[in-house]
Amino acid sequence: MKKFMVALLVLLVAVQWPFVRTEARQIDYKSPEFRAVASQFACTCGCGQDHFECDPNTCNLTKEFKKDLSDMMGKGMNKDQIRDYYVKIYGEEILTAPEKSGFSLAAWILPFAVLAAAAVGIFFIIRKWVKKKRDIETLSEPSGDEDGVESEILSSIIDEERKKYL
Amino acid sequence: MYLFANATIYIGLALAIYSLLIMTLGISTKNQKLVNSGKGGVIALFVCAGLAMSSLFYLLGSSQFQYEYVRDYTSSELPVIYKLTALWAGNAGSLLLWTFFLTLYMMMITFSRKMNGNPMIPYIISILLANAVFFFFILGFVAKPFLLLDQIPTEGKGLNPMLQNPGMIIHPVTLYLGYVGLSVPFAFAMAALIMKNMDDFWIKMTRRWTIIAWLFLSLGNIFGGQWAYVELGWGGYWAWDPVENASFMPWLTATAFLHSVMIQERKNMLKVWNISLIIISYALTLFGTFLVRSGVLTSVHAFANSNLGLYFLIFMGIAVIMALYVLMSRYNLIKRSAGEFTSFASKESSFLINNLLLVGAAFAVFWGTIFPLVSEAVRGTKVTVGTPFFNKVEAPILLSMMFVMAVCPLLAWQRSTIKNLRENFLLPAIVAVIAMILMVVLGMTKAWAVIGYGVIALLLVTHYLEFYRGVKARRKMTKENPLLALYRLTVKNRRRYGGYLVHLGIACITMGIIGSQNYDVQTMKTIELGKSIEINNYRINYDKLDQKKEGINDIVYAQVTVFKDGKRLGSYEPEKVFYGHWDQPSSEVAIISSFKEDLYIVLSAWEDDGRATFIVKVNPMMSWLWIGSFMIVIGSLFAVWNGRYQNVTPRYTGVRREVF
Repeated sequence: MKKFMVALLVLLVAVQWPFVRTEARQIDYKSPEFRAVASQFACTCGCGQDHFECDPNTCNLTKEFKKDLSDMMGKGMNKDQIRDYYVKIYGEEILTAPEKSGFSLAAWILPFAVLAAAAVGIFFIIRKWVKKKRDIETLSEPSGDEDGVESEILSSIIDEERKKYL
Repeated sequence: MYLFANATIYIGLALAIYSLLIMTLGISTKNQKLVNSGKGGVIALFVCAGLAMSSLFYLLGSSQFQYEYVRDYTSSELPVIYKLTALWAGNAGSLLLWTFFLTLYMMMITFSRKMNGNPMIPYIISILLANAVFFFFILGFVAKPFLLLDQIPTEGKGLNPMLQNPGMIIHPVTLYLGYVGLSVPFAFAMAALIMKNMDDFWIKMTRRWTIIAWLFLSLGNIFGGQWAYVELGWGGYWAWDPVENASFMPWLTATAFLHSVMIQERKNMLKVWNISLIIISYALTLFGTFLVRSGVLTSVHAFANSNLGLYFLIFMGIAVIMALYVLMSRYNLIKRSAGEFTSFASKESSFLINNLLLVGAAFAVFWGTIFPLVSEAVRGTKVTVGTPFFNKVEAPILLSMMFVMAVCPLLAWQRSTIKNLRENFLLPAIVAVIAMILMVVLGMTKAWAVIGYGVIALLLVTHYLEFYRGVKARRKMTKENPLLALYRLTVKNRRRYGGYLVHLGIACITMGIIGSQNYDVQTMKTIELGKSIEINNYRINYDKLDQKKEGINDIVYAQVTVFKDGKRLGSYEPEKVFYGHWDQPSSEVAIISSFKEDLYIVLSAWEDDGRATFIVKVNPMMSWLWIGSFMIVIGSLFAVWNGRYQNVTPRYTGVRREVF
């Protein structure tokens, strides 16, 4: 039984070892993994930056915040879990972008909704103008022969005029 | 000096009011003498603003700390150039600069040879004078540049070290020239509406002035970005800060106007829309100033919070309401000449889509900028709307814009047939697809980057084809050699080819943005003396840590030797500067630039034992941002250069030439 307990302990330590190592590992504050987590949170020191950009050597606030983030990442928390953790404590105000739910969803949707509505509007306007033009053309369509002669004369005049401006 | 300097402001205000009244009276009574008196007032106003500027320059340059403004923004040790440029470091001085530019523009228009004898002049000047009255009022009663202190301090507070950079000397000047410049097309548009004058002349003049304002606005943003890149030690150039957004919005709407006005010139359409764009662009410049000066939003650019913003908001409200009133009262007149389109697949349609995307992008920026206020008003939570939001929302819109920009030059006016489309787009499309496949094969996996560069490839080919076909057609007629044909082709069509050059500049900037946003690599490491940092194929050896004194500033610097692929690039000294008159130190970064990428080294911190912490970034394709910016300047100047303008536009004699 004792042997079994020792073996179990060794096994548990072995399983935990990668996590212990991760925690001990120094996270590069400029690494892509850290950026994914830290750039979600706005620094409130007045720098106007997020916690990824803000320099920990000139801002104590971000120094502590980065350390906490680093610890959480070390514990295996992913960016969404860390985000939820801070939103629960500080509310949405801590984030660098509004949530994609509730009222804040309007921030994300409205620009595209307006764009789509305007695109539909433009489609109908162009259609109306094209139709108007076609109606006019149908009313004043010249006969084939006249058209050929006229266009020949027209193109020769255009050619002459063009040469003057070259 | 105190009396003289203040007199320039108050006399200026009196003159502005006088000129506005006399000009309006002259217009309504059709009395040329009164109008001439108003024009004289414009000269006097310019002199007043110039003397006020000179006074402030003198006070700043001679460190007269008894003046609040001099005390607040300079110190005796400051280099003379920064003492002088402190003029636009604060609220009052920067508004004085704005006022000076406004009077300068008024002078240029009033006495321009091209506008000589034009009956629109009194109307245009009156509208600009109304602006001048507002600004002189602000200088006289709200943000006073010549306030005396009760006690004379021995030393000033000094200039924010961040502002002690060549980029900061030019950035505000160009930005203000752009902002004020947009009030000129606004004045032209309003004058044309009031006069019920809907001919081509004013739109051509407006377009010219808008390009000038647009160029300065572009330069303002570019210099701002360049300053942020070299001065802030953050390695970025655009942060979607509310104030940056405030200058980006009128840039977008002015760009939209510059395109849609071509439809008005060609087809006499979209008049209401074009005037609306001018009004919006003008209103957005005032809105931007409101944002900067009011402190309603958190911004790194914000001036000291004051009630100044409120004045701008009120002025903007009045200007917009009056402009809309004039527009509505003339609506039937400008609506009457609405034309028609031949086909969906035409240059005209692509300009409409271009406008949709540009104005849509401007709306998205506007919405994101004010959303914190909306959120606070609706549910009491002031959320932050930062870079992730703007990058996600703007990227697809602006990328679509790039696509439209790529295809538009090859679409025909009136109607593009299937044959046209096939002939024009087959080759560019094939090249773009091959480029995208190559990118993927070479290991680029980020979808946005691949699509973005694919669109840029398409744009480069379509624009090359435009030049190629133009030269070919010309040579067919004239038998000139290719270079001469290219030269003459572009010089004879300045607007068109200047515009294409601007497009190519935007493509280069986009290349830089996509590269630096998607493929930047950075690291932050603390190392001992003699050790090195490796990043990509660079090795940075940390050789020395030392300090020196420059004036009253202490500088700590690290000496590093940079190697690329084992080859020595040189020795560099990133610094941290501690200012005698400022609490916050600033970083002087070391940048090693090439066409491919920038190596960006920041000395972040150090320990007593000599260990130092460095932030090192590799920013791909950054140089293309500056190259593209340069192309924009060249293209815009090429487009507005004298050229054929005088030849093709007859001197305007006007529909109602009573006073001019």
